[in-house]
Amino acid sequence: MTEPLIRLSGVTKTLKGQEEPRTVLNGVDLSLYSGQSIAVLGRSGSGKSTLLSLIGLFDRPDQGQYLLRDNDITKISERRAAALRSSEFGFVFQRFFLLKHLTAAQNVAMALVNGQGWLPRRKRRAKVMTALEQVGVAHLAKHRPARLSGGEQQRVAIARALVRDPKILLADEPTGALDSETGNLVVEVLRSTTDRGCGLILVTHDRDHANKMGRVLHLADGVLGQVTA
Amino acid sequence: MIRLSGRLRSALIIGMQGIRSRKLRTLLSMVSLFLGVLAVVAVQAGSQIAEQAALGNIELLEGVDGTQMMYVSQNDKAPAVVLDALQGKQHAVALVGTRAFIGEPNVSPINKGGGPIDQGASGGYYCSGYSACSPDDNQAQGPPGKAVELSLTAMTGDNRQFQPFRLQSGRWLDFTSPASLAPRIVINTKAAEAFQRYQIPAQMRITGATADPTPQIIGVVDDGSGAPGAYVPYDELANWLPPGADTSLQVMTAPSETALLQTLKARLTAAGVPAGQLQVRTINSKAHVAEQLELMRLIFLGMAGLVLLIGVAGILNVGLATVGERVEEFALRRALGTPRLLLAGIVLAETLLTGLFTSMLAIGAGVLGLRAAGVLVGNSARFSFLHDLAFPWQAGAAGVAAGLIAGLLGGSIPALRAARIPIATVMRA
Repeated sequence: MTEPLIRLSGVTKTLKGQEEPRTVLNGVDLSLYSGQSIAVLGRSGSGKSTLLSLIGLFDRPDQGQYLLRDNDITKISERRAAALRSSEFGFVFQRFFLLKHLTAAQNVAMALVNGQGWLPRRKRRAKVMTALEQVGVAHLAKHRPARLSGGEQQRVAIARALVRDPKILLADEPTGALDSETGNLVVEVLRSTTDRGCGLILVTHDRDHANKMGRVLHLADGVLGQVTA
Repeated sequence: MIRLSGRLRSALIIGMQGIRSRKLRTLLSMVSLFLGVLAVVAVQAGSQIAEQAALGNIELLEGVDGTQMMYVSQNDKAPAVVLDALQGKQHAVALVGTRAFIGEPNVSPINKGGGPIDQGASGGYYCSGYSACSPDDNQAQGPPGKAVELSLTAMTGDNRQFQPFRLQSGRWLDFTSPASLAPRIVINTKAAEAFQRYQIPAQMRITGATADPTPQIIGVVDDGSGAPGAYVPYDELANWLPPGADTSLQVMTAPSETALLQTLKARLTAAGVPAGQLQVRTINSKAHVAEQLELMRLIFLGMAGLVLLIGVAGILNVGLATVGERVEEFALRRALGTPRLLLAGIVLAETLLTGLFTSMLAIGAGVLGLRAAGVLVGNSARFSFLHDLAFPWQAGAAGVAAGLIAGLLGGSIPALRAARIPIATVMRA
């Protein structure tokens, strides 16, 4: 088997808030390969989003090791992490986080105008349109978010995640704000990205959506375990 | 063509998007900053204009900086020595000053004492330009009549290389043509005003002269003086002045003519003029006045700076509120790979662009204000310097600098806040 895109070994994370410190991840091991899709199930507050934020380099683990293509990025600098977030990862959130004053195309272009390299306007536009076409909303490129439905908005958000051709796509409850039918459509769009070799981690509450992924994991008490059918 | 770095371009693009999406807030920032930048522009423009006006007049009265001025005390032989020494010298001029009355003979002049016409008889005596300062003579003791007392300055050459008199009408003195028995004189604007106001016969009495010539007024100059005056070629005055007449004598030379001044000093001393009474002064009035104006400018700039601070506070206030509103946007941008530095740059780009736009508006207002002032009051004598006055580029540069500094100061704290927004905000939302 090929080398994993990412490998987490014994990752632990304790959240220190105003209350007692709480260990939300306790010795988590996880590998993601190119073209593989993983669903992570779990109760609210079980640490699913924390896991995603560690994988997405929003935060750093307290203990354990994080390898990205065999490179140890456990204690990576914020500057390098920003560059990796731009080049390696794509993010889809429950709330779509589309800027209301920008068109769909401009929202997608946000990921290209981020100070990590520079693309001329024409190339930028071409990449944006390609990303919008991949998720089937190219015809909505000039629309502002207020004129889009929830499903359309989430597909624009997915296009924003895909526009830099990420190797790993992280989706944090992307169907949480959508009805069942639209949610299915969005999950299908996300799953289709693995056909191009993208690794996908989907955090969800929905078992049906999880079952569409190649592997389903369950996070409980800070420990990640395989879900049996 | 200047190629900006990717980060700078990104900051400018996103900054412009931010400004466009929050037009009202941007406008409010600009309103508070506008007055501050306008104050800086006005102070800088005002000081430049005042400097131009003040320095323009000071050069007319005192001479351009660097000019050497020698004062020669009263001596019978001195005029002949000076005239001989200056013969054929292009960069040296002797100025012989006396007093003259143009108008009815044997009357007390309208401006007794030679002062400004508006002030009437100032009494006593009045020293102006190069005229001799002496008590009123008998000619000025008669009954009041239509005559104007003025300072009369005779020159051996064109003094405008040292004092750039502004020709208002007619022509300047011709030092190459033969002397005329009817002296060709150029009067200053104050004398011209007097002759325009009063019907005065063309008879000129020169202090110490035995007969009254009929002058030919060939031109009018602005010599910066507040009192009536006239200028005449020395040859033409010499026709009427007896030797030993009560005159003053000065020599103006270019800075390079130090050898000539030394020779002149030696010859005058040999002719009996006490060496201690031969004073040579180098004109540096412009530098002196500029120094005084600079102090005033700094005081006013300090006051304008305080007004500008209010604008900075406005930008800061709006900037902080905006960053508070855009927490999710900034967290999202970080999630998409935008470095912290660029996030700070985006906020700074917005405030700097706001400051730049505001400064453009303030400069535009300054240009229009100056034009309006020129149209409204530029025709009056007091504000004639406003007529056709160009907007000083220094004021424009100061306005742009003030706008950018205000943008930088007002935007730096919001920029730091934006850069510190935790990225996990998007996960918790």
